[in-house]
Amino acid sequence: MKNIIELKNVSYSYYDIVPALSGIDLAISEGETLAVIGSNGSGKSTLLQIMSALIHPQSGSLYYRGERVTEKKLRERQYQRMFRSSVGYIFQNSDVQLFCPTVYDEIAFGPLQLGLDESSTAARVSDILALMNIEYLAERPTHMLSGGEKKRVAIGSVLAMNPELLLLDEPMSGLDPKTVSFLTDLIFSLAESDKTIVIATHDLELVDHLQPRIAVLSEDHRLEKTGAAPEILGDKELLIRVNLIHEHKHRHGKRVHSHLHSHFLFHDHKR
Amino acid sequence: MTFIDTSITKIAEIVKTNYVQWETARKNGLFQKLDPRLKAVFMLGCVAVISVKKELPAELAISGFIFILILLSRLNLIRIYKRILFFGFFFGFLIALPSALNVITQGDIIFRVAALSRPYHFWIYTIPAEIGITREGCYGVGILSLRVVNSVSVVLLILNTTHFFELVRSFKILRIPDTFLMIIILTYKYVFILSKTIEDIYLAMKSRLVGSIRNSEIREIVSGRIFYVFKLSRMRYEETYKAMLARGFTGEISLNAGRGFAGRDIVAGIALAGVLIIIIIL
Repeated sequence: MKNIIELKNVSYSYYDIVPALSGIDLAISEGETLAVIGSNGSGKSTLLQIMSALIHPQSGSLYYRGERVTEKKLRERQYQRMFRSSVGYIFQNSDVQLFCPTVYDEIAFGPLQLGLDESSTAARVSDILALMNIEYLAERPTHMLSGGEKKRVAIGSVLAMNPELLLLDEPMSGLDPKTVSFLTDLIFSLAESDKTIVIATHDLELVDHLQPRIAVLSEDHRLEKTGAAPEILGDKELLIRVNLIHEHKHRHGKRVHSHLHSHFLFHDHKR
Repeated sequence: MTFIDTSITKIAEIVKTNYVQWETARKNGLFQKLDPRLKAVFMLGCVAVISVKKELPAELAISGFIFILILLSRLNLIRIYKRILFFGFFFGFLIALPSALNVITQGDIIFRVAALSRPYHFWIYTIPAEIGITREGCYGVGILSLRVVNSVSVVLLILNTTHFFELVRSFKILRIPDTFLMIIILTYKYVFILSKTIEDIYLAMKSRLVGSIRNSEIREIVSGRIFYVFKLSRMRYEETYKAMLARGFTGEISLNAGRGFAGRDIVAGIALAGVLIIIIIL
């Protein structure tokens, strides 16, 4: 499989003083599903924003299908249109992503910017509304939606551009179980239709469900390890080191005690 | 902190009003079914006719016509006319009232207010010996008040039967650039999102304030929060800009034009235009 995205020695810091990423080397192949996991502040969102060329690395390079992506390259209208239609980025906070008047407009925004005519856009919006089960929301203003509805619209608005690479930043954060279940199924369907999917998350349950290849970011913003899901999720020492599992109190019947605890992978009572 | 309480409550009320407006715009009434572009053109045409007509019967006819449209649009008459009369009273009647006096409008006095020993002349002005309300002045006040009432009525009719965003988008028909319309839409939208944030921040702050605090401390807290909200809105703007870039924004925006004119829009357009022409002829 050819690499669709490649990062070479990428580093980034905010305001030149707050480090976010340090010397990241990572390649993602066509059709692959990759989960970027790490604790809060490890640089997952920054990594995804660099992959979508919304921000540019201070050192190192981003390659899309073998071609280096730079600010200058993205100023070329033709290249920009191709890149933006191929790489879809779904923000953690749906509020920032929903800037159009209504749900219909939101989903139509991407196709219209890409130059699709009104009738083709309408057909695409109709398909997406059906796919996301949100036909009944079409005329609703986007600031009058619930958290789950906003997330569905945000994902729909990106899918309307039919990207081959989807970057999802904490897709399940703050959602109810029904929406989580819907989105998990959707991610499976998208993966089966050969989309390349990158998910930034610290939700190990989601990662366990999807069983993707995993890239682990450490708290010092480095790429700690990459590997298959069973290998990474089974590496307890690694998960403790990157602060993804920890010791905390919980209840067993009437007994409250503390030990290393991951609610789905293992429940270690040896300590 | 009462003034903060009041301001926050008012902001929350405005947000609530927005929800009410969205609900009324979804009702199954006459104007709700019409194309927003037709309504925008009707609004501009109606305001033009209101401004042009100088006869009381014509203004009364317009009032009656808008009243029928409000009825057919199934709007809450008490709620809408409370607003109309409020604006009509303060921005029409009260402002125009002094012009009813013969000091401003010459004419037949129908009600004597005061009598002076002699008339006074000052530069180009004259204060007559007998001051009173004139018939012509009353007519002028009536016309001006009705103009305000009618203009407010037609604007509220459109606002309550059309969602704000649809109305803004309908201005595409006047060849206003999409980018400018998008700026209005974004501004309107983020006022609501930020007002919710402000309300939450204030409640969080209030829950932690115990006992009486000095005014200087209140000022410090409020100014700190204002700065925080400013920073927050700046961060939100940067993120939204990135979201727009990610979806193909290149500096020029293409907005969805909405559905085309239906048969009922054409019939309604002809009928509304017909009534306005009859009023002009009156």
